[in-house]
Amino acid sequence: MEPMTLPPSFAELAPYLDWALPTADERQAKRLASTSDELRRFYDAVLPRLEDILAEVDRFPLGGLPESHRALFNIALSLAEVAPHIELYGGAVGVPYAFDEARFIAVHGDQPTWKGFAPTAAG
Amino acid sequence: MNSEHRWLEAYPELGTGPVPTEPYISAAWHELEKEKIFKRVWLCVGRANEIPKAGDYKVKRIDAADTSVIMIRGKDGQIRAFHNACAHRGNTVVTETGNETYGSSRAAVLTCRFHGWVYGADGSLINVPSEERFYSCFDKSENGLTPVHYGEWEGFMFVNVAEKPESTLEEFLGDYADHFRGFPYDSMDFGFTYRTELACNWKVAHDAFAEAYHVDTIHAGSFPNVFSTGLQNVKLMGPHRTCAVCLTLNAKPTPVAGVANKVAGASLVARRGASMLPTSINPDKRSDFAFELSVLFPNTLLHISEGIWFTHQFWPLAHNRTLWEGRYYVKAPKTNSERWAIEHAMTLQRNAWLEDTATMEDTQRAMQSRAKTMQNLQDDEILIRHGAAVVDRYVNA
Repeated sequence: MEPMTLPPSFAELAPYLDWALPTADERQAKRLASTSDELRRFYDAVLPRLEDILAEVDRFPLGGLPESHRALFNIALSLAEVAPHIELYGGAVGVPYAFDEARFIAVHGDQPTWKGFAPTAAG
Repeated sequence: MNSEHRWLEAYPELGTGPVPTEPYISAAWHELEKEKIFKRVWLCVGRANEIPKAGDYKVKRIDAADTSVIMIRGKDGQIRAFHNACAHRGNTVVTETGNETYGSSRAAVLTCRFHGWVYGADGSLINVPSEERFYSCFDKSENGLTPVHYGEWEGFMFVNVAEKPESTLEEFLGDYADHFRGFPYDSMDFGFTYRTELACNWKVAHDAFAEAYHVDTIHAGSFPNVFSTGLQNVKLMGPHRTCAVCLTLNAKPTPVAGVANKVAGASLVARRGASMLPTSINPDKRSDFAFELSVLFPNTLLHISEGIWFTHQFWPLAHNRTLWEGRYYVKAPKTNSERWAIEHAMTLQRNAWLEDTATMEDTQRAMQSRAKTMQNLQDDEILIRHGAAVVDRYVNA
């Protein structure tokens, strides 16, 4: 189970802890299971803190994030997954005019991204 | 050269006529492609650094050559290739878990799961359990793994399953090898892989990726501010082909892309600094150069750009089924924020690939209707025209 706490200076992101998902597959599935409004609320809440989050996680080496900061990093990774849908696709939860996402297999998809492994390595 | 028909002027031998669709929908033609192309030419099967240590191996299933090939690194550091078939009763020696199977053996041996026959990394049969129960006519030294011709170029692994290849790997690559030599493939080894099975001919998939005419329409979603300014520097090299894809960026990046660009130039559409490209690439130093798009015949597309490179491979499974593998490579991140920026770039690229693959099954179905038996190609679709001509030449050789 991934830690579900945030550093105190990011406490306002607590309502979005359900987006603190360690793997690319989980983040993609969460995006596809969301409504357009949910994507927008998440985007609007996290975007203003994105640069702060990246500065905060860079206090630690890649692969060495303490439990206290993993959820924060996972939320930022979810923003990378969600951003194109708000910024480019008019809020659509899927990629418009695209191939069936469920059939696209990401070999690295079940790897916890925060571990910093090569994407070819076993999760 | 800026005329509307500049590639015809450069390569008049390819002609201007429509190109038949029958090779995309005919099962008989597919059988000919297997025999005359996939069982005869050098095929790219990965990067040597995927199997870095002695005893590391990779098994690649190649349906179009009716075999699976094991690449294994020996204790001497050399990689050798063998058919994945046991000399006992023909079982696969390495049990495959899919189209690509990776493994490692500390002793640098391969043991068949069926009855425990053991082979060395040089292919020799080392041990047969209950060997005394076989008859005197059985000779271990004559029952090693069947070798497959193996070669490397710039760290890419190639195999050729022909008993006697018609050319060496160097001869096969020809000018292509010089054009792409010197790019830092090895130091950009943080590689993401996506795959899917497409209900289309491998050439439908090839063609969809081998032009930039589609950028303004198909990628209006993921790259709305990017407009194709056409191909430059088209170069046909034997069966291989390359060109520069030029794109203009018309607007400032979106908010999250802006943060990502600040962290790392990991995105294809990010601005970049000093060049890592070989001098043969973008020789006129055009500012709208986006990436070099090339086809390493028959089924590998290699793209290189500043800070990233990516490949598409199309593995035929049947005349109307193809395994697609897309790989996206960057330099390994050093910080958490760099890892985040790479995730952002990879996500956008994945979405663009979802847009690219969207048309392929529709194209196949429509072609199979035989409502249209010809396709009409414009001058900037020269890579498709060349591809069709090369396939035709091999099949009718």
